[in-house]
Amino acid sequence: MRRRELLKTVAGLGAFALPGLGWTLPGWPRASWVFSAVDDTEGRHYLQAVSIEAGRAFRIAVPERCHGGCLRPGSTQAVLFARRPGRSLHVIDGDARAEVARVDAGPGHHFYGHGVFETSGRYLYVTANRIEDAAGLVRVYDAERDYAHCHDLPLDGIGPHELRLMPDGRTLAIALGGIRTHPDYGRAKLNLDVMAPALMLLDRESGEITARHSPSHHQLSCRHLDVATDGTVIAGYQYQGAEWERRPLLARLSPQGDFTEIELPGPLTDELRQYTASIAIARSTPRALITAPRGHRVLLIDSRDGRLLASHHLPDAAGARCDGQGDFLVSSGRGGLYRVGGDGSAPQALESLAIRWDNHLT
Amino acid sequence: MFKRLGRLGLAALTLATAPLLADDDAPQARERWHQAIDQRYGVLVDASERLEASADRFCEQPDTSHRRRLTQDWLEAYQAWQAVRFVDFGPIEQQSRAWQLQFWPDRKNLVGRKMQAWLAADQPPSAEQIADGSVAAQGFPALEYLLFDDAMQDDEALTHPVACGLMRAIANHLADGTSALRRDWQRFGDHYRHTASYTGATLHGALLALETLEDKRLGSPMGLTGGAPNGYLAEAWRSGRSIRLIEGTLHGLEDTFLPGLKTLLARRGEAALADDFREALDRTRRRAAKMSSGLAPALDDGAAFSELQGLHVQIGQLRHQLEEIGGTLGLARGFNASDGD
Repeated sequence: MRRRELLKTVAGLGAFALPGLGWTLPGWPRASWVFSAVDDTEGRHYLQAVSIEAGRAFRIAVPERCHGGCLRPGSTQAVLFARRPGRSLHVIDGDARAEVARVDAGPGHHFYGHGVFETSGRYLYVTANRIEDAAGLVRVYDAERDYAHCHDLPLDGIGPHELRLMPDGRTLAIALGGIRTHPDYGRAKLNLDVMAPALMLLDRESGEITARHSPSHHQLSCRHLDVATDGTVIAGYQYQGAEWERRPLLARLSPQGDFTEIELPGPLTDELRQYTASIAIARSTPRALITAPRGHRVLLIDSRDGRLLASHHLPDAAGARCDGQGDFLVSSGRGGLYRVGGDGSAPQALESLAIRWDNHLT
Repeated sequence: MFKRLGRLGLAALTLATAPLLADDDAPQARERWHQAIDQRYGVLVDASERLEASADRFCEQPDTSHRRRLTQDWLEAYQAWQAVRFVDFGPIEQQSRAWQLQFWPDRKNLVGRKMQAWLAADQPPSAEQIADGSVAAQGFPALEYLLFDDAMQDDEALTHPVACGLMRAIANHLADGTSALRRDWQRFGDHYRHTASYTGATLHGALLALETLEDKRLGSPMGLTGGAPNGYLAEAWRSGRSIRLIEGTLHGLEDTFLPGLKTLLARRGEAALADDFREALDRTRRRAAKMSSGLAPALDDGAAFSELQGLHVQIGQLRHQLEEIGGTLGLARGFNASDGD
């Protein structure tokens, strides 16, 4: 107990005693802003940027609720995406503290809320819905040509959600939710009986689907994921079936391509209420953090074998990302921003703002 | 390094910070809620079955008294649904059941469009075809179209075999759906009673129901949330029964939500908070019961509009009161928990 307290204190001091170190991430060593979609207490929508070590923050009003985002390598830009069934992506420049571009999903399309750049920072890959036939797509944009739309990569499936780039720089790991929606029907789910979710790998150059792994039940909607530096993928599900059934809520794809599902202790699975939000894997240690806002929990697992290492109460836990130093940043819909130790230590409050942090931190 | 961290991690499992609601001292409250909601789902099943029978009787013998009875049964079943609409977890979440019962909001008039399409067919659909078709044509608003839309006001319109067959198919689907819902609620019982986070979920459902009531069901058509007043944004605008539905929700919160809340608060020595909330709820419900049934007509009538404003303010106060109670109980407000993605 005492040693744990001590470790916590040291970790806390360490984070603040080294100003200017920034979040060390591949492709963007000095990125110091954390971005997120937020709502204020009146329900107005913003894109929030916070620099914790510099104690700075700014926000930009947007017309619709936004969702996930991604950093553009080699720049101070980040892109945040409208939440399903939103139609816009917003390019934010951290230095300029301004929205520098806004791109529409195009006629007959909407975004699902996530995207990712390839390592050069030129091409942006965004999950989208072709509304007419509910075809799931990855739309490709060229950041060097004012985010002009280049082409689409079809996924042969419905409802792609989060996607990440694999360490080979060429393969996209995509969480295919499988849920059919239509903007005219709001957020109603229209195909719950015949869903076909998957964890997919897509060659972004050839467009070939190189792997498609199906969850153990057709109503396990595969929604969020992160990729470790060794190529391990951890994915989070949201189960659409009966709440009293106990289903796995996490999956793992090994660097060798073996797909398995992670069993958490039964009572903990029940507490999560069939729902996971964000997945973040540490860069240099085999640790993955999962947020579960319905269960008001964050979980820490060993990304090598899925073993549960810690489970903390954190009200309305939402966004998560690694901080580049082995720990994680986690946001809460109640306004708090926390550091959660990669050593299993409990969340420490860093900031508390009068806002509702939305699902993801970038 | 990792070996040591692993051990610390296990310590964290047991030392995780515990707020009030995470200590599960609330199984009695969930027991009461489960029973009360089960009874209310039972009322919905019975009302839906009466509606189905009433639709059959009207189609066999379409006279004024059967028509009156049909309309009354539709409203009673619709109100029975309002009373349990605050339950936004459990089996209601399966197969988009809440949407099936009430497709709303409907800014694009999908209900009207889908019903017109069915009415233009040569043959009425079966209940299976309704189940496989659009969610906008499956529930109370779809039946409301048949009973109240301007296009259906001709005496012959609803007695036409296609219209009557369509109505019977929808009523049949609705009765099947509600009885499956109740069956599943009973199967859900053990899980609900044994899972601590459903205490927060139930409180949160009631709070969200009041928020929706204030902002969407009243505020939005009244023009209080940004746009201009617009009666078409109200629920049940075709029948002019918007306020009767609101009354149904308030009644359900009093009858179905309050007993469990009282148990929860009494265990904390805060029973007075539950009494205050009950009084305010009762006052608001009685106010709604005295108001005329439609919302849209009140938008152009000064006196009626100020009545609506009064109701809106009282519902806002109820919401505030329940938020305070939630704070006392350590309820974690779920922004992402309730509507993530």
